[in-house]
Amino acid sequence: MSEYIVEMRNITKRFPGIVANDDVTIQIKKGEVYALLGENGAGKSTLMSMLFGMYEPDVGEIYVRGNREIISSPSYATSLYIGMVHQHFKLVSNYTIAENIIMGIEPMKRFLGLLPYVDIKSANEEIARLSSEYGLEVDPTKRICDVPVSVQQRVEILKMLYRDADILIFDEPTAVLTPQEIEFLLKIIEGLKKAGKTVILITHKLEEIKKVADRCAILNRGKVIDVMDVRNTSTAEMASKMVGREISSERKKAGARYGEEVLVVQHLTVKDDNGFDIVKNVSLCVRQGEIVAVAGVAGNGQVELADAIAGFKKVSSGKIVLNGKEIANKTIRGRIQSGISYIPEDRQSYGLVLDFSLAENLVLKKYNQEPYARKGIRNQQEVELFSERLQKNYDIRSARGNQTIVRSMSGGNQQKAIIAREVEQDSSLIIFVQPTRGLDVGAIHNIHNQILAERDKGKAILLVSLELDEVMALADTIAVMYNGQILTCEDATSLSIDEVGQYMMGVVNI
Amino acid sequence: MKWVKQYEETIIPVIALLLSLTVAGIVIALLGNNPFAVFANLLRGSGILPKLRYAGGKSMLTDLCSFLNYWTPMIFAALGVAVALKAGLFNIAISGQMLVAGFTSSVIVGYSSIQSVIAKPLVLLISIVAGGAVGALIGWLKYRFNINEVVSSIMLNYILQYIVAFFISMYYVDPISRQSRAVSDESRLTLANVEFGGYRYDIPLGMIVALFAIAGVQFVCKKTTLGYELGAVGLNRKAARYAGINVGRTMLLAMFISGALAGLAGATYYLGYFASIQPKVLAAMGYDSIAVALLGNSNPIGILFASFLISVIGKGSTYMSSTSGLDAELSSVIISLILLFSACKVYIRHSINKATDKRKARVEK
Amino acid sequence: MIENIIGEGMTFALPLFVMAIGGIYSERSGITNLALEGLQGVGAFVGALAAVLLARVFGAQSQLPYYAALLFAMLGGTLYASLHALLCVYFKANQVINGVVVNILAMALTAVFTKGINRRLFGTPSDKFVLGVSERWSILEKSVYPFEVIIVVVAMISWYVLYRTKYGLRLRACGDNPHAVDAAGIDVAKIRFTAVLVSGALSGLAGISFAYSVSASFSSGIYVGYGYLSIAALIFGNWKIVPTLVACLVFGFAKSGGYQLVQAAGLPSSYSDLIMILPYVLTLLLLVFFSKHNHAPRALGEIYDKGKR
Repeated sequence: MSEYIVEMRNITKRFPGIVANDDVTIQIKKGEVYALLGENGAGKSTLMSMLFGMYEPDVGEIYVRGNREIISSPSYATSLYIGMVHQHFKLVSNYTIAENIIMGIEPMKRFLGLLPYVDIKSANEEIARLSSEYGLEVDPTKRICDVPVSVQQRVEILKMLYRDADILIFDEPTAVLTPQEIEFLLKIIEGLKKAGKTVILITHKLEEIKKVADRCAILNRGKVIDVMDVRNTSTAEMASKMVGREISSERKKAGARYGEEVLVVQHLTVKDDNGFDIVKNVSLCVRQGEIVAVAGVAGNGQVELADAIAGFKKVSSGKIVLNGKEIANKTIRGRIQSGISYIPEDRQSYGLVLDFSLAENLVLKKYNQEPYARKGIRNQQEVELFSERLQKNYDIRSARGNQTIVRSMSGGNQQKAIIAREVEQDSSLIIFVQPTRGLDVGAIHNIHNQILAERDKGKAILLVSLELDEVMALADTIAVMYNGQILTCEDATSLSIDEVGQYMMGVVNI
Repeated sequence: MKWVKQYEETIIPVIALLLSLTVAGIVIALLGNNPFAVFANLLRGSGILPKLRYAGGKSMLTDLCSFLNYWTPMIFAALGVAVALKAGLFNIAISGQMLVAGFTSSVIVGYSSIQSVIAKPLVLLISIVAGGAVGALIGWLKYRFNINEVVSSIMLNYILQYIVAFFISMYYVDPISRQSRAVSDESRLTLANVEFGGYRYDIPLGMIVALFAIAGVQFVCKKTTLGYELGAVGLNRKAARYAGINVGRTMLLAMFISGALAGLAGATYYLGYFASIQPKVLAAMGYDSIAVALLGNSNPIGILFASFLISVIGKGSTYMSSTSGLDAELSSVIISLILLFSACKVYIRHSINKATDKRKARVEK
Repeated sequence: MIENIIGEGMTFALPLFVMAIGGIYSERSGITNLALEGLQGVGAFVGALAAVLLARVFGAQSQLPYYAALLFAMLGGTLYASLHALLCVYFKANQVINGVVVNILAMALTAVFTKGINRRLFGTPSDKFVLGVSERWSILEKSVYPFEVIIVVVAMISWYVLYRTKYGLRLRACGDNPHAVDAAGIDVAKIRFTAVLVSGALSGLAGISFAYSVSASFSSGIYVGYGYLSIAALIFGNWKIVPTLVACLVFGFAKSGGYQLVQAAGLPSSYSDLIMILPYVLTLLLLVFFSKHNHAPRALGEIYDKGKR
């Protein structure tokens, strides 16, 4: 038997217009923690999706425990004891934790020795046992929609363990966690390693690799650049290999010069669809030239706060004042015209009409204003001129310019289009919600610079982000939301990343 | 293969059409008839091809005029479906809206002694309002209460059908035909029995309005902010709201316009092609128009061609049935098949893309 | 009179209910099913055809054709449902539009075939199949149609399968998050396909029950929107079986109550037209009050594409 538990040899995978993996070879030893490091779009997820049977390679061979395997489906991968925690969890929200875990290999019993039924009781017991064995605390009878993200992640891990998987793939597992939760997860991974499991960790965060990984393969543009022993390599070295160039981690950020108060939120309360308070008595102020970042674990009311300010969610009590005028009762369009730009979290569902052309999307908020339309009749020529100008100024790349259907554009360019449109509004307040989600390092860098540039122009900026690094890098003022409330709102320089993390977990007394 | 992509919007409906005609042809052949003869008889019945014999005072042109009278409401009805589809709504209450429009304008204008110059525009106006009101109600139910428009449309269809039947049988029934009493010639949108050169024709005045409607819908969709709003709401309701568009108002407006166009279809059907209303029956045209809109890609120009085709099948069915000895309902089967294959558009497009991609890949290699 | 209202109400409500269960299967698996109307029509057509043919073999007195009709109606509904399933699951058609298309096709096909078969096989120019009279069972001193009992049994089995078996567990998961089901190594398309087939079988049973109870015949008169009523019922029942039963009973009693009222008051027959609209108006009203608060399955109507993540 070979010394490697998993070997992927000379793997090539093409998608229309892109080579995701180009002659990639990796070899993973049994019982090690093997990290795949690379920027977004470097091909890490694609590579692991092939190991997990979601795609098949165009060229190349996969060996598992020394045997050549053609992994044609996730269920075949499962039968090889391979498990994967995806970046977007694959959970049924209205099912209990136990139901989610057992789905696919349900324990059965027979009623009166005849009618088969799913034996949820023994499943609950088995899961409770597993969860205590690996320190993954969960209550199997709780519903997924009622538990926080970190618990959902544990459910995903338990799903693998319940299937006796011993090759465990984690795809960007820390993206949605607080520093303390990350700490906890890394401990779990170490525990899994001790239990003899092989762990493959996909990530672009170097510290994590340094902490838990034994070896690390670096991918860039679909190719393996290098495989190195983590213990003997510095993070700086890994970083430069990952990006393919030297990067300065320090960003030059000009000192803040605050002007007048642009947005003042007072005692704002917002209800969710089920009538529960999701934003509770929040007060906040954003001044000209200030970036206020709202940090928090997903689902603690940050997005709803932003939505309420922009008019997507009804305010149940409290005040929203923009440039001295109360706007809580204005329509969405009314608020746009009063000076709010909004970069939404979900750019494909909210920010763009994917089947419209690029030009039509760029004019989405001005289509009815002069000179783009007069008395209800649109002026296509003006729209196209405007669109061309934005494409040039903001470096939006597309196959067919104005006529490109936005659906066919890359995520980065879609986001550029949204930001171009919103910045062009020349609003006094710009709300960014998760502006860099899913983008590669280069695009992130660009967007960060743009945000800073707008701040330096004197705009008031409200940034909602789950990425703590982003918050720390950009914010002048940090507000941390937990369970619908703002626990603290302080100058960024007076908070450390660990303190912010503590607040994110709802620990108030530091 | 580049041209395939370029003309995709035209090619896909044509493929759908050819597929459905092939299947229909096979069905006809299985029933023991020559499919081409059957198709030819459909054309003859519509006055496109000459019949073997004509009754006194009739000619091919008479048939063609009659066909135009039938085609007119089809255009309106399909435009109605298309406008709603544009906003992402599926109006299948077209036949109910036609009925209400036909009934109200019959009662208000058709049974009065108003003069032609006022009566005809008044019929159009009342039909627009009546059909539009029903459409707007569906839009309101959808927006305000999140009621699936298909379900509410069907419910309204039945409700309207029975209510109109009730009033016709109580107050407006013609004791001999069991239909509603015939409307006055002044109010009709068809000039009936016009004699010319020894032949009699029914002149379809409504056709002119229909052509304007095609141009009008095209203009609204392509050139106006309203058209932009309809498209945004139809393609992505969330993004439309985000852009500041009043989604509820736009949906309501779309359904009003859709209903108004259906109303015009009702006017040209019940006070044009016919002059009376058969109670408890919804016009099959309401459903045929869905086939037209889907086949025509919801595009006004596409609808012009598609409605012609479906109208030939619908209108020619009587003659086809008498000469080929097949049931007239066969035409509804053919139309349903066209519908079915049009509904597979996504799949056809997918297949085309796959084929072109494969070809491309082969060329690259 | 109350007895009558309950008896007739049940006769109407139970087929509606079993069809709604079919709808629940389909929609909980994530496939919007407006095709119930057409499924019950085609089911009734196939069942009625089987009954008519068998009645010629076994004679008018035999009850065998009746039970065979129920069975064949379920088969016919299943077979026709495969069209909706195929287009929605594998051809990725728009589910709302396709449902309506399937209904229109059903109306056209059954009308043509009914006429054609009558003419060619039986030599009569008729557009309906006349069915024999169904026997009645006496349960608790009440006379009921056998199909009512069968429907109750089928409903109980359906409940058990949906909520207690692994097929049910997986099916309901498909309507919430098909990606999770796929990741668990289960074929989403297969589950959805079979769920639509189940809705076809149950709708077929409903259709033939309507054919027997309403007019003891099959004709185009079967298409009076009952499929849509059952969809309204399942929306009202929040896509759950037991609350949906309540909605169906409300429809049933409203309908039978209305009829009894017209008869008792001795109104002219034109007024029965107005009574006819009662279930439809009720449907709209119920939807007005319940649509907003009820939650459709999260992935309902979404086309599931394996490649997309």
